This record gives sequence, C-alpha cells and structure tokens, in this order.
Amino acid sequence: MALSRYPTVLPPMLAERVSNFRQTAQWRRSLDIWVPAGILILLVLACFFGPFIFGLPGPNAGSLLDARLPLFSAGHIFGTDAIGNDLLSRALYGGQISIEVGLGSMLIGFVVGGSLGVIGGYRGGILDIVIMRLLDMFLAFPSIILAFVVATFLGANEINVIFAISFFTVPAFARLARATTLQLRERGFVIATRLLGARERDVLIRHVVPNVIPSLMTYGLLTVAIAMFIEAALSFLGLGIPAPQPSWGSTIASGQQYLSNAPAIVLVPSVFLFTAVASLNSLGNALRTRIESQ
Amino acid sequence: MTLSIIGRRFLQFVPVVLGVTFITFLLLNLLPGDTAEAILGTNANPVSIALLRKQLGLNQPLLVRYWHWLEHALTGNLGSSLITQQQVGTVLSQRVPVTLELLILAFLIALVLAIPVAVLAARKPKGIIDRLGATTAMFGLAIPNFVLGLVLILLFAQHFHFFPATGYSALGSGLGPNLRSLFLPALTISFALFAAYSRMLRADMMQQLAQEEYVITARAKGVSEPRILIRHVFRNSLFSLITIVGVNFGTLIGATVIVESIFALPGIGSLLVSSVYNRDVTVTQGVVVILAVVTVTVNLITDLLYLVLDPRVRYGTV
Repeated sequence: MALSRYPTVLPPMLAERVSNFRQTAQWRRSLDIWVPAGILILLVLACFFGPFIFGLPGPNAGSLLDARLPLFSAGHIFGTDAIGNDLLSRALYGGQISIEVGLGSMLIGFVVGGSLGVIGGYRGGILDIVIMRLLDMFLAFPSIILAFVVATFLGANEINVIFAISFFTVPAFARLARATTLQLRERGFVIATRLLGARERDVLIRHVVPNVIPSLMTYGLLTVAIAMFIEAALSFLGLGIPAPQPSWGSTIASGQQYLSNAPAIVLVPSVFLFTAVASLNSLGNALRTRIESQ
Repeated sequence: MTLSIIGRRFLQFVPVVLGVTFITFLLLNLLPGDTAEAILGTNANPVSIALLRKQLGLNQPLLVRYWHWLEHALTGNLGSSLITQQQVGTVLSQRVPVTLELLILAFLIALVLAIPVAVLAARKPKGIIDRLGATTAMFGLAIPNFVLGLVLILLFAQHFHFFPATGYSALGSGLGPNLRSLFLPALTISFALFAAYSRMLRADMMQQLAQEEYVITARAKGVSEPRILIRHVFRNSLFSLITIVGVNFGTLIGATVIVESIFALPGIGSLLVSSVYNRDVTVTQGVVVILAVVTVTVNLITDLLYLVLDPRVRYGTV
C-alpha cells in the first residue's frame, strides 16, 4: 500500500504534512467528479427554487416597453427578450422543462430499454433476435429526425416531446443492457448460481440486474445531455414546447432575428444549455473511467 | 470466403431497409393528423374530405397502402407531393446534391483538422496541443449546432462580412460563390465531428502505442518515432476512425436538418422540415426513407471497408 512508502514513525509535524499532502491529492483526484456534479446540483436548485428565492418576475410577465434590454440592466440582470420578458427568469423556467424532459426520456429508456436488453440478452434465441432487429430499425433513424416526426404528428407538448425522444433512448439503452448482460451471463458467479438451482427470475433480478445498473447509470448521464440537446433543437424548430412556455431552444430561436443588436437573447439560454450539457458529459466520462479502471 | 461475407451482410441489409420503410409508413399513417383534412383545412365540408380521402387512397387498409407504396417505390416512383403535386423523386433529385455537397465539405473540414491534431496530441500527451484539443473537443460536444451556426453568422457574416449569412448559390453559378455559401454551414456541422474524431483517434493511437507489439518491434529496429506514429500506428487507427464515421453518420444527417434551416439551404433537411409543417406525408415519407436507407447503407459500407482494409477479417481469422 501507499502508506508503506513512508517510515512508520515520523516526527509529528512531518507526519501531519504527509497526511495533508495525501488528503489533498485524494481530493484533487476526484475533482473531475465533484466540479461537474456541483455545477449540476447548483443548476437544478437554481432552476427549481431560484425564481422564488431571487423574487424574479414571471417568464411571461414582461412589458414591451422593456424589450431587448442588454445584459446587466437594472431589474433585469441578464436583459430581456424581444417582447420584454426577463431572460434570467425564462432561462430558469426553461431549465425546469429541459431537466424534466432530459430526466423523463432517460428514465423511460432506462426502464423500458434496460429491461428489453436484459431479457433479450439473458434469454437469447428468437425473442432476442426479434427485439434487437426491431430496435435496430429505430436506431437506423437519426434520433433528431425520429423525434421531429413523432413530436409533430403527436402534437407539441412536454409529455409528447419526452415520448418522442424515448424512441431514441429505448433502443440505445437496450443495446448497452444487452451487451452487458451477454458478458455477465458467462461470468462464474452467474453460472454458479444457476447450477445451484436458483430460479431464472431470481438469477436475473438478484444477480444480473444489479450488475447491469452501474453501466446504465453512467450512460444515463450522457443520455440526459443528448435528450436536452434534442429538446432544445425541437423547440428551436418550433416543434417542441409550445409558445408561451419558456424553453431554452425556443428562446434561442426567438432571438435569431435580433442577433446583431440584442445578442443576449441567444446568448443567455445558450450558456445555460452549454453548462448543463458540458457538466453532464464530463461527469459521465469521469464516472465511466472510474468504473472501467476498477 | 469474401463473397459469402458480402452476401451475408447484404441479406441482413434487405430486411432492415424493408423494416425501416414499413416503420416510417406506420409512424406517418398511425399518428393523428389527417392528410385530407390538412389539405382542405379543418372546417371543410365532410363530404369533400371523404372524397379526397378516397382519391388519395386513404380509405384502404394500411397494409394494402404500404404494399402499393412499396410497389411504386421499387420502380422509382415515390408518389407526388400532396401540396405542390410535384413528383417526390424529382424534388429529391434537386435537393439531395445540396445536402450531399454540404456533408462532404463538413466531413473534409473535420478530417483535415482532426487528423493532425490527434497525431500531434498522441505524440506528446498532456502537451499544449493535446490540452487545446481536449478543450476544443469539450466545447464541440457541448455547443448545440444551432447556437454555433448563429454565432458564426454573427461573427463572420454580420460583423466581418466574409461570408453570406444565408442562402445557397448553385455550383452552376461558379465554384467560388458556391463554396462561400456552403462554408459556414459546413463549418457548423464539422465542429462536433472534429471533436468526436480527434478525441477518438488520439485515444486509439495512445492505446496502440502503449500496448501493441508491432510498436516495440518497430522501435527495436530503429524506426523513428514520427514514422512509427504516422506509418504504423495511424494506419491501424484508421479502423476506429472508419467505425466512428459510420456510427456518427446518423448524427451528421440530423445536423443537416437544423443547419439547413438556419442557413436557408435548399437541401433535404429543410425539405423535411417544410413537409412536416405542411403535413405533406408523401414528401416526408420519401425523405425519411432516403435518409434511413442511406444510413443503413453507410453502415454496410463501413462493414465492407473492414474487408478491404484488414486481411484477417477477409480470411475469417478474426
């Protein structure tokens, strides 16, 4: 162990410094997890509680007299949009929707896709082939186009957007769950449990599922980021969250024509979207390298 | 041997393409929203709606309609637009070249930038180029393409006037204006591709340098480091590059939908958006089928390229 590298008896001051050094190193090594995780926690808290804590005006409470105020204006710290709504307020309320859509479509993918993948991978045979070929066809569609077609024809609202994005998350999770299950099926402890005469259902639930979940969870973080991207893109094209409700994508779209004289309208929601996606990606990657190196 | 592998891949290709067309058909026809109603407006006379439905063949069972559509599609007839009456095939043949040119250009920009960055980063891990590349890649993967497109318009079109902000000038009116009108949209698409390609290529090259025996052999016989990197390691890493190009192709197509809308390019992405808005089901179907078939074909070509590049796959030893 690392401890043995140091003499066991040290003068007190030096011992303290060594342990301090080791603690700092430990702490710095996990920075790649805590920084993005901290940013995400702050972002979620800000979106759901910020509007009340800061006493912000409603996302649609603006007046045309205040239209297109720049950054750092009095009363509107991030400026206002084309019809005078507070941009910070719109970004925070839009963040609620973005987070809900991201988590919602991730969870549907996790539960439905994960179960399909585990069952298909564990059972094998014709069931596996049918499930995987069907899901492969959905993966053959570019995710944004699938979501785009489904969202339009179902009618644009938050639930339908979640549903539309799930057409992408379900097959993606199913693939990963299946691949992990196929590896687990050949592992000693699973074979041993089966030889001991455990019921198939118990093997699946007690031994396979708990070991599939960690890899699905790290992938889940990346999926939330992708889902947020798709939601913003749909709203940007006017096919996501309907008009009065704020969304990062639709706010960006509304600022498109005022790009040169009021860049804040595009900038503010873009920075929020970027921060959310970048933190989710880095957290997902950091956790994945941890799991892989174990 | 080789022929049987190609044959097997092709046999898998046909059902997937058929399935993709069927799912598209199902999706567009089962989801709410009636085409006849969309054409005539919601408060049209129910009798005329019923008449139009009959004319369009919408009163027949779904499977019959799919069969008719498939029969026609196989002979190259994708139907005609419900709104403009133009042949879908004709519209597609006008739109596809624009998208194709955009994609090729984006692809070239991404590769031209990603390969040198990856090679230099692999040569000196944690060096300045590696760190810059990692930061750029993080931005590339987290900036949505519509934001990037708008920022590029703001910078290079409205501020510096280097490029036109929107619009497309055909190749017929000169290569210069044509490339100028496509440069910003292609750059927008290529940023995320650059991020993915450069990171993946770097990781793969590093892994080969650390683990592969042929690297030790080459070093032992005195091959210079740059030569090992380029002639030996890079050539092997091309496999992972081809894989990720194939895997990313769907994303690439998805990006064209957004980018063509922002830059007002007359490609199939913007055609899809407008046909979905207008409920022009035959056009939507034509576009989605073309895109899905192209995606599946690209995956097939990726698989076949392994055969060409790697003799071990060709002789079935891997």
